[in-house]
Amino acid sequence: MSGTIEAITGRYLNLDLGGRAHRVYFEEAGQGRPVLCLHTAGADTRQWRHLLNDAETTGSNRLIAFDMPWHGKSLPPEGFETEEYLLTTEAYIETVLAMVEALGLERPVLAGCSMGGRIALQLAALHPERFTGFIAIEASDFQPAWYDIDWFHRPDAHGGEMGAALVSANISPHAPAAERWNTQWMFMQSGPGVFRGDLSFYTRDDSLIGRLGAIDTARTPVHLMVGAYDLTCTPEDARRTAAAIPGATLAVMDELGHFPMSEHPTGFRPYFLEALARMPDTARRAA
Amino acid sequence: MQARLRAMQARLNGTPHLRRLGRLFSETVLLKVDEAEYYLVFDRGALAAIQCGPSRKTPWRFALSTDAAALEAFWQARPEPGFHDIFGLVKIGRGRVDGDILALVKNLRFFKEFMALGREVEEVPA
Repeated sequence: MSGTIEAITGRYLNLDLGGRAHRVYFEEAGQGRPVLCLHTAGADTRQWRHLLNDAETTGSNRLIAFDMPWHGKSLPPEGFETEEYLLTTEAYIETVLAMVEALGLERPVLAGCSMGGRIALQLAALHPERFTGFIAIEASDFQPAWYDIDWFHRPDAHGGEMGAALVSANISPHAPAAERWNTQWMFMQSGPGVFRGDLSFYTRDDSLIGRLGAIDTARTPVHLMVGAYDLTCTPEDARRTAAAIPGATLAVMDELGHFPMSEHPTGFRPYFLEALARMPDTARRAA
Repeated sequence: MQARLRAMQARLNGTPHLRRLGRLFSETVLLKVDEAEYYLVFDRGALAAIQCGPSRKTPWRFALSTDAAALEAFWQARPEPGFHDIFGLVKIGRGRVDGDILALVKNLRFFKEFMALGREVEEVPA
């Protein structure tokens, strides 16, 4: 018998977030310029595994992805059993900045998808000095819900299965079946109320709209990417958002959906490499 | 359309995983295509009957309304953006869902996969 061990390594980081102890899972691969990757709502770092396993990407980039608290292998904080999980912009920003600091990342590129892309744009506006550049995937200024977020947390139905069936609307028919289902599996596994709590942030906080114009892309470039099959953040949404950020660039990916790095890894890879090429390489510059 | 629906009915009955997913689904769904109405009577995950309307006497749990051209685009093997999902049809203004939407959402995978069965069958003359 023989097997293949992937290049990805995973570890746990214990740190305080919001004054409370958290145990956060992160994984990484590669060497060079740090690139911090943020998963979508209701999912986890596995969405990034194809790129973390891509030798060309990791040859000159250190890709790091972490599971947000409550997601994947990161535990919720002590006392969660009586709490209603509702993500906020402030808590999300604090989490990303704390991870950057705790992992000792020197001005990483920040790459986020969906709600991760939204927070990447918030950080581009509010904390640009902590990053080299921003890759905002399936990200927009604001998305009102076209669904009732309470569908995904109720005692008489499985929120994960409903969430997966709903988000399948955002997956491209060009995606290989295996990766389509792997993408949905993460939603099926999501903890009770977590997808709802993420969507609360994603569909109710419109504070980014007024901040987009303040983003200085001469200092930290912003590159947006959007899949043509994304019903949640449509190409029109991404175009509107990019147009509001002076100097931002945009790539429309014709055969991809809302989870491009996960649903169609080979289709997404060239777009991501192009995005990385647009980001300053501080590690190389310093060498 | 009736021939297509009958082919989908046969395909559903021959798809064990869908029968298993729909084992708690016994509802009537109204599929409205332009002005034509089809009442799809599901019984424990099987499509027990396809009744042509219009009928004001047939109760239904939820309804999907669309047009024939949109449905044909939906049934392409690789549909264009927006035509690739029933909620895509709604989003681009070519479809509408009425009635008990929660009943649809609770059975969303089953119903979406049933509707997608039309992608795998050739329409035969009635």
